[in-house]
Amino acid sequence: MPQMMIRRGLGRLALALSLATVLGRTAQADPATSAAFVHTLGDRLVAVVNESAPAAQKRDQLRPIIDQNIAVDDIARFCLGRYYPTATPAQQQQYVELFHTVLLNSIVGHLGSYRGVSFRVGRATAQADGDHVETTIFRPGESPTDVEWVIAPGTPKVVDVVAEGTSLRQTQRGDYTSYLDRHGGSVPTLIAALTRQVSHFQPG
Amino acid sequence: MPAVPLERRRLGARFASCVLAVASLAGCATKPPASDPQALADYRAANDPLEPTNRFFYGVNFTLDRYTFKPVAQAYVYVVPRPVRVSVHNLLVNIGQPVTLFNSILEGKPRRAGDTLVRFAVNSTVGIGGLFDVAKGLGYKQVDADGGLTLASYGIAPGPYLFLPVLGPSNPRNATGFALDIALSPYTYVPRGYGLLTFNWAIYGLGAIDGRSLVLHELDELNATALDPYATIRSAYQQSDRSRLRALEADQRSTPPDWYSR
Repeated sequence: MPQMMIRRGLGRLALALSLATVLGRTAQADPATSAAFVHTLGDRLVAVVNESAPAAQKRDQLRPIIDQNIAVDDIARFCLGRYYPTATPAQQQQYVELFHTVLLNSIVGHLGSYRGVSFRVGRATAQADGDHVETTIFRPGESPTDVEWVIAPGTPKVVDVVAEGTSLRQTQRGDYTSYLDRHGGSVPTLIAALTRQVSHFQPG
Repeated sequence: MPAVPLERRRLGARFASCVLAVASLAGCATKPPASDPQALADYRAANDPLEPTNRFFYGVNFTLDRYTFKPVAQAYVYVVPRPVRVSVHNLLVNIGQPVTLFNSILEGKPRRAGDTLVRFAVNSTVGIGGLFDVAKGLGYKQVDADGGLTLASYGIAPGPYLFLPVLGPSNPRNATGFALDIALSPYTYVPRGYGLLTFNWAIYGLGAIDGRSLVLHELDELNATALDPYATIRSAYQQSDRSRLRALEADQRSTPPDWYSR
């Protein structure tokens, strides 16, 4: 197994380097680079989370880190599934902006109230949908959670987070498409529901 | 082909009409037409043809939980200190080890069975009846094995999503697996006496409260942030089901542990 993986990894690296020389573009992200990227991103997130600052301030500091390193727009489009093309451009933009806030609130909800969070980066493997980097997150008073980060090939950006075997992107998509199925596919109704949700969010 | 006797045909028709009546009462989800391939693909991926019935039981469960399990679990967390709650959880896990052991054997995973046996032996003795998870410190992590996973390892498809009253998210295969676990549990076969009956109920009750107390925060958050909590739970359950099977198949550790080969 390990020999196959090394051979596969070398094969991909060789292909990437040859493409790079031909096209003059930067090489595709390989698992080691993705692992390093996740390590850096994790350090930055944890640094903000572990500060003894009020939750609202942490939230403001987390927002640029998330927007730069997570492909939020792509995830937002994915989560609306087959209903995204049915929305008007104005609705699409409104939805994506709301999604940014929803995602930020979700991350703050999972990490923000803890102090003394640490993590460990494990294996990184190249798979069809990107590089999967395994990490373990240690939160005080909770058992360690296994979280896998999926990094898109090309630009190093997180496209999915798999927590204990569950893809958050897939789960969110199931949620939104099911909601739209039950509300006649009306994207404005979804936008109104998300707006309500965002206004109810209590940080910390 | 021999002619089917009249009585058999009548019985067959009666049975079929009963099933149809129950199904129409139960309510099947409307399948999207073939002219909308994306909707059809989403419908197939959700694998929930009994959605109306499932949503009904989800509502029942949610109400039941709000007035019984959740307040009791909250009180449990409030009153009982964390180290004691961890010990109770360890105890419950240890009591369930025989089922884990038999399932690991049926799954054809001798290393996992061996790990379970070591955990059971060490935790029951040094860990004082299972209160302390000493084996984890020795490097023996808890093995994930139950009837549903065992059936899945034989290639049995899960079947449509089911939301069962009290038991929660499931599917026909996992529900059968649950029954299999009861059949595999040694406590089912000890002769009935008042003492054992009380023991069984106490374990089930404590297990329910322990299980509920572990997901208090997550379920609260889910109900607050999800637009459709039922669909979110369905998606998470189906993904977790598949991922547990993948983890089982990926466990290719050799049967003798490292220290044995040295």
